[in-house]
Amino acid sequence: MSLSLVGLALASEGESEGFHAPSPEEFYWPIFGSGDWTFTRPMLMMALSVLILGVLLVTLTKKAAIVPGKGQWMVEQAYDFVRNGIARDIIGSKDFLKYTPLLFSLFTLILLNNLFGIIPPIQYPTMSRIGFPIALTLIVYAVYHIAGMRRKGVGHYLSGMIPKGLPKPIYALIIPLEYATYFIIRPLTLALRLFGNMFAGHMLLLLFIMGGEYMLLHGGPGLKVVSVGSFLMALIFTAFEALIQFLQAYIFTLLAATYISDAISEEH
Amino acid sequence: MHLTGLAPLVTFVAETEGTAGGDPVAGRTPILPLWGELIFGIIAFAILYWVVAKKVVPNLEKAYAARAAAIEGGMAQAEEAQAAADAAKAQYEAQLKDARTEASKIREDARVQGTQIVNEMRGQAQAEATRITDAAHRQIEAERSQAAASLRGEVGRLSTDLASKIVGESLHDEARQKGIVDRFLAELESGDLKPQKVES
Amino acid sequence: MQGNIAILGYGLSAIGPGIGIGLIFAAFINGVARQPEARGMLQGIAILGFALAEALAIFGLVLAFVFR
Repeated sequence: MSLSLVGLALASEGESEGFHAPSPEEFYWPIFGSGDWTFTRPMLMMALSVLILGVLLVTLTKKAAIVPGKGQWMVEQAYDFVRNGIARDIIGSKDFLKYTPLLFSLFTLILLNNLFGIIPPIQYPTMSRIGFPIALTLIVYAVYHIAGMRRKGVGHYLSGMIPKGLPKPIYALIIPLEYATYFIIRPLTLALRLFGNMFAGHMLLLLFIMGGEYMLLHGGPGLKVVSVGSFLMALIFTAFEALIQFLQAYIFTLLAATYISDAISEEH
Repeated sequence: MHLTGLAPLVTFVAETEGTAGGDPVAGRTPILPLWGELIFGIIAFAILYWVVAKKVVPNLEKAYAARAAAIEGGMAQAEEAQAAADAAKAQYEAQLKDARTEASKIREDARVQGTQIVNEMRGQAQAEATRITDAAHRQIEAERSQAAASLRGEVGRLSTDLASKIVGESLHDEARQKGIVDRFLAELESGDLKPQKVES
Repeated sequence: MQGNIAILGYGLSAIGPGIGIGLIFAAFINGVARQPEARGMLQGIAILGFALAEALAIFGLVLAFVFR
């Protein structure tokens, strides 16, 4: 997909001469419609990922055998990772089961959509469109605030965010800081981290592939040789991206669990 | 992409959306969401969450619970088997010990009995040997005395025969009557008799 | 020469988180080397710290696009 995109870029460069670095506009892929309600390619991919995950997870776990088959075993590995590795470790064994479905769907959805960034026929990380990370963050944001308010009551929840026993003048500084952390910085970084990593990673791959293509097709003999290096770098960074994509899915889920745990835990 | 400096965000968005050619949102800065995508993302996640929460997680948790129960059952079963094996082993060991003591007792008995038998046999053999020797002695004695008796008769008869031939007449009756032979034999036995030349 | 001076700002803003992430993982490696059995616990904390430090670099990247 990136290749055809390169072709497009090069065709348009026929007029303007010279190499254009990939720009953020290349992440906009309308299919039909216009304006804010355009149906875009990442939306199609998001729908596809939900379909794949839904069908796969339901069919593989339908039997729920005591001795799992290969498919069920694979689902269980991922589920164990989220359930025991993230939810139980961070939220604690008392409440974690209630939040496990949320965390598991977050993890699988983000992981699959991130991996779309390097899966050949798609090669476009859905999460590099900021709308999707914001959507997921809004859900997490609503869940942890509502859980906290339900558990402790609104007043107690809000006052519980401020550490106690500090000298009075410091409160003038700490109260706005703490509220900013809980209500602005946390959700903002949660969404932007995922978006930024996917966006930058995809941009990097585009740069190496488009640069290599340009040097191969339009450069002199020396540049043609250098283009091999560019493609090699693209390969290396594809492998690196796979790691980043997994890590980002993990971090998003981990932080979501941490925020929920912070909101419902008694101390703090 | 020209060096435009630090323009405020809002002005910038308005600017790019105004100047972008076909689609007004194409040039929107990448950190502002396309509202369609945002809402679509929420709906998509809600669907996935519903599927996971209603179909996937309950099934998996059920499998986990069943597995835990199965493992616990397996443990109980294993413990039972272990206990049974322990009991069997103890029983076996007790039996082995019994058998061992019994065997040693039997061995001891056998040894005692063996010596007894050997002693008995030895005594019997001794007695038999003595008996046989005695019987032989007795027989020899009897045979000897028989031989002596018959010899005595024979010698008497022979000597009288001889004497008769020498004397020329039968001395049997007379010799007998007079006990000559007995006397002669007694002399012979005592060694008094000297060989004499008999002249004819 | 064409370009965007805001990208330079992103470059500057990436220095701090770069150093910070380096320190976090150095401490993590030290900790695991001293107490290998604490690895599971340290890993979560290290990744959390990494994510928080990285947030600053992400802000830099975002601001590079806001003011261009």
